[in-house]
Amino acid sequence: MLKLEAISKSFYQKLALDEVSLNLEEGEIFGLLGPNGAGKTTLIRIINRIVEQDKGVVRFKNELMNDKHLAQIGYLPEERGLYRTMTVYDHALFLGRLRGMSKNDVNTNFNYWVDKFEIGDWRKKRIEELSKGMAQKVQFICTVLHQPQLLILDEPFSGFDPINVELIQQELKEMKTQGKTIMLSSHNMKSVEEICDRVALIHQSKKILEGRVSQIRESRKDGNFAVRFSGSMIAFVNALWTGFELVDKEVLGDNRFVAYVKMRGENNFQDLLQVLLGQIQIEAAWEVLPSMQEVFIQEINHSNQTQDEK
Amino acid sequence: MKNSWIIALRELKERMRSKSFIAMAIVGPLLVLGITYMLFALGGKNKTHWNVLITDPNAIMQAKIMAQEDATVSYDFANDYIEIEDFANNPRFQKYDAMLEVNEKILNNKTAFLFYREKPSMQMATRVQYQFERRLEELMIAQFTSLSVSDFRKIKQPINVAMRNVYDPRNEASDMSGWVGFFFGCVILLFIFLFGMTILRSISKEKSNRIVEVLLASVKPRQLMLGKIMGIGIAAFLQFALWILFVGIGLYVMRETLFPDLLDASKMDVVQMTEAMKNQTLQEQMLSAKEYNQFVELIYERIRFGNMLGYFALFLAVGYLFYGTFFAALGAVSGSESDGQQFVIPLIALLFLALYAGHYALNNPTAELTSWFSYIPFTSPVVCMVKLAQGYPEGQGYLIYVSFLILLVSAMLVLWVAGRLYKNGILQFGHRLGFKQLFKWISRA
Repeated sequence: MLKLEAISKSFYQKLALDEVSLNLEEGEIFGLLGPNGAGKTTLIRIINRIVEQDKGVVRFKNELMNDKHLAQIGYLPEERGLYRTMTVYDHALFLGRLRGMSKNDVNTNFNYWVDKFEIGDWRKKRIEELSKGMAQKVQFICTVLHQPQLLILDEPFSGFDPINVELIQQELKEMKTQGKTIMLSSHNMKSVEEICDRVALIHQSKKILEGRVSQIRESRKDGNFAVRFSGSMIAFVNALWTGFELVDKEVLGDNRFVAYVKMRGENNFQDLLQVLLGQIQIEAAWEVLPSMQEVFIQEINHSNQTQDEK
Repeated sequence: MKNSWIIALRELKERMRSKSFIAMAIVGPLLVLGITYMLFALGGKNKTHWNVLITDPNAIMQAKIMAQEDATVSYDFANDYIEIEDFANNPRFQKYDAMLEVNEKILNNKTAFLFYREKPSMQMATRVQYQFERRLEELMIAQFTSLSVSDFRKIKQPINVAMRNVYDPRNEASDMSGWVGFFFGCVILLFIFLFGMTILRSISKEKSNRIVEVLLASVKPRQLMLGKIMGIGIAAFLQFALWILFVGIGLYVMRETLFPDLLDASKMDVVQMTEAMKNQTLQEQMLSAKEYNQFVELIYERIRFGNMLGYFALFLAVGYLFYGTFFAALGAVSGSESDGQQFVIPLIALLFLALYAGHYALNNPTAELTSWFSYIPFTSPVVCMVKLAQGYPEGQGYLIYVSFLILLVSAMLVLWVAGRLYKNGILQFGHRLGFKQLFKWISRA
């Protein structure tokens, strides 16, 4: 769907992107991650042809990316705004027309989204009359109004309350099932974990990690398991004896705990459950995978260390 | 281009809805009408009696000018040629305030020179010009046509009376028609400034509310810039059209109420006039109305509005494009709204230079510097208006096209450079603008 081949870009001798390559498949949600100033926004601007790359090639559906493809892209920038004195409908019409839509198409699609988000009353309201969250919804509608094949969202969840984050996430999942490709850049790792199929991590203008979210987390697990139980913590620790090590614990109250345990020697999850049975009341037990937040921090720290050593 | 047009229409819609647009459409014409009225009203206060010597070696005027005595101007005729120095210094001529030189070419080149000792008030100047012109019309009718006087006046051409100071005849000081050009030039500057600032503010606002990045995902920076300049430009033209409409209506109303054209025989029948003559008060009213009438004559008949407005529209459009592009680029490169305002000062200075150049051209129509000013794109919109109103010398009418072409090419060039500034600056936020940065952005493709 979208292929970036060794994209490099510098601004006045400062390297913003260093040979970054990415490949987005049709119908996937792709997370573009990285700390502030890593080069994500520059990369997104290059895809949108707002900024031109110094080196490298962008392909859209196997064609060299050109202006005509822009009508198939929906872009929600991180720094986004609306004309304060324009009405919601006028905005939709204006931005829809810029994306090549006819007035009829704008009306049909606008009505669909307005009904879906239950915001029919806002149609004639001026942007300055809306709250920040409301304006964000309008921006989202304007981004998807022309039914783009590729949706590029830079921090789409910022400014939304949890209910609206959930709403947007649901919409993105639905678009994915319709075969749309979505690239999103976000610092909200929980959302990334929940909806992204694959991610790429950019740090100091280089891509340092790319892969499926499940595989990345799987590959970074350190053999820890969690057990939620009720009973005595002392009994739990005694049962572990020398075959297992208690790494961490959470007190849930009323003699309920979550304990994090590391295997020692040849012991495995089965052995753990066996030693615990009869000592405490097990409610649940699972293998602990690192969160994307942990992966993110680990990778950045690791990359910084390598840099320092060099 | 389609996208530029969509941007332009949005901009136009926003301008038309703004309160300032509506306010300007009302206040502007009122101001123009007010000034027009004041110019005459003030001109009437320093009323003096003038003795004018008409030198007419060929006796073209047959020693006649007015059918009746005029209380404010007396004419004497001399049927020989009098040197300017002689007139200026010879005690024989000291009783005359001015000398009106009529030569044998007058009926062809329609130009006469009036050398004055003291600059005439606008009212006096129009009065002499008016009376002289009427007399010449009669002569022309007699010589060239079989028309009646009223028929002739329907098709007549204005006569240029070039006014010169007798002590400094080479100083081609302000003809009244030149002032009309200067006024038009000032209107161009006013529109450029007001709508240029609108461009600047509109772009700064788009930058600060961050909608610009959404737009740039669909529109190229140059298209966006052009769309904005076009949209605001169309708003400026609509504003201008409203001014013409309102000023036109205002002048019409003034003509019908404040300055009824009593001298126009077609407008007053004999019975009415006789009735009027019987009534002293009405007669006084008539006399005062007659004075106004000469001013109305200038406004309604002497200014060739069709010609002036045509060139005015061209120079306004391209002058606006030229300056507007600077404002647009400035809006794009500034880091914040206040940042842009600081850099507006040099632009305003250039507009003031244009104003000065217009005034200079008014007083020195044939000076070399005036020619330069008429070619320099920063000053040409005003200076060309002044020159046009004064009348280009015969055979040099094409010079206005030269000026226009230079302005047009410069506007295109500036558009190209500003496009770079716009492209490289529009997505830069929160910086402090400096010249070093400007050059960096211009040099980057």
